[in-house]
Amino acid sequence: MILLPRGNPVKENVNPGKVNLPEALDKLRQGKFTGYLRFDFSEGTGIFIFQAGRLISALFETGRENLIAYDAIARTFHEALKGDGRLDIYRLSPELAYSIHALLHGEMLHRGQDLQLIDIRSLLTRMRDEQRSGCLRIYSSAHIALIFYRDGKPLGFFHDGSTDIETTADTSMSVAREPGAKVDVLITRGDVEKSLADLMETANIAGLWNKEVGERQRQREEQENAASRTLEMREGERRQKTLALLQKTAQQHLGKIGVSLVEKEFDRLKLNGLPLGEAQLNGLYDNLAKAAKLVAGPSKIEQMLDEMKKGARALLKGS
Amino acid sequence: MEQFQLALAVFWLLAGGVAFYFSIGNARVWTSIAVGFFLILLGEIIPGALPFLPGMDDPYILTMGHIIGTIAILVMSHGFQEYYVFTRTLDFEGNKLLVYLSVAGVVAASLVFLLINPEPTPEVRRVVRIVENTNWVFLSLINIDLIRKIYLNIRDTPISKGFLAFMAVFACIFLWKGSQLYIDVYGLANKKELINYTISYYTNLGGNLLASISVGATFIYLAKLLR
Repeated sequence: MILLPRGNPVKENVNPGKVNLPEALDKLRQGKFTGYLRFDFSEGTGIFIFQAGRLISALFETGRENLIAYDAIARTFHEALKGDGRLDIYRLSPELAYSIHALLHGEMLHRGQDLQLIDIRSLLTRMRDEQRSGCLRIYSSAHIALIFYRDGKPLGFFHDGSTDIETTADTSMSVAREPGAKVDVLITRGDVEKSLADLMETANIAGLWNKEVGERQRQREEQENAASRTLEMREGERRQKTLALLQKTAQQHLGKIGVSLVEKEFDRLKLNGLPLGEAQLNGLYDNLAKAAKLVAGPSKIEQMLDEMKKGARALLKGS
Repeated sequence: MEQFQLALAVFWLLAGGVAFYFSIGNARVWTSIAVGFFLILLGEIIPGALPFLPGMDDPYILTMGHIIGTIAILVMSHGFQEYYVFTRTLDFEGNKLLVYLSVAGVVAASLVFLLINPEPTPEVRRVVRIVENTNWVFLSLINIDLIRKIYLNIRDTPISKGFLAFMAVFACIFLWKGSQLYIDVYGLANKKELINYTISYYTNLGGNLLASISVGATFIYLAKLLR
């Protein structure tokens, strides 16, 4: 679970499966968007960070692995095409966009420390003394606040609904006072800002998308084929069971020739791709009755057909 | 003897009636068989057993009787063949009306053939009778074998025992027609003092009686089985 402040919402709760993502990203690029896109899927969370229309960072985090850059973009596309995700877009200030990037790609020094059990003041002092750059993420079940540091000095505070780093610690500290509040400490090494490239320039976004679309199509076809095969198998079983039932009944009333008559009439059934149903069997019963007249009387035939109809009806309803 | 002939007539009348009635109410494949047995009544029992009826000494009628007798065994043999094919392939075709019309057509064509030819002499009638009885004798044997095969194919069906009865019917017919054929081929009708004639004569009467009874009984039994 990636904990990020929500920022200033541009779009919320969009199904990314219904969006042409390369086109959407291109629009954000054209619009010089700064902020981030958050994709939430059952498989994980994807974050795309834009700074002035440049896609400076992409991360996809699952419980088992963290993917970055092109791999993250591809995986996000892959999950989005499954159609059951959620996309939220938040606007941020350019400085905060970098900070978010640092937050996402930084090294986790402490994770999920209970604020009631640690001395927050000594932690802040240590950040300053060790001249750390990074972020303290303070969160409760309801809110989240970030304190950004550079070289041991606090850059500012960020919390839900804010689009820029603030200089007052009120909100951040109020989160820290909430019951069950925890803190993560993330640090970054070196100056990351200079090394950030525009992923949309260096990656073939449309190509990644088309590849995933193709893969999704292939998977869908495979699923459909598998479903179709399962359906065929089930239908085959139904047919076999029905045939066996009719044969058994015919054997009881007409003997061996009854079994052969059932087999013959069953082979002649014209289903035209439809599943076996009572309508098709009615034709079989009529033909069987005609042929059976050569070896048995009407009462015997009627009794046999009644048993067949009853048995087949129960079988077809049950399966 | 007249009383015996009358009894025979009654039995065949019953057998023919039952057979014809059976042909109406059952599957098409039974039509040929039942009509064949019905034709026995028409073809030779009425002319043979009821000579007192007007026109019964007419050579055309007597010859026609033998021809209808020949048609009878051919039609019923065809019916058993169809039944055998059904038991092997489970296929059957045709319709009853076509069977009735075809038989009527063959009988009519035979009548026309008779009428456009000279009046049949006793010698001609004898030859026609030999042809008829030859057909009956050999086709009875073939039918017994065919019915045995049919029985084996359908022995676990409700109707199977009816075919055993048909085997008995054809055994009786074989005795009846075979003895008549023997008498005709050896001209025993002119050598009545010979034991061969006596044996053949009584075999003929006994076979005829048993055939009439067994045919009627078999169709009644079949009707019961096919209820």
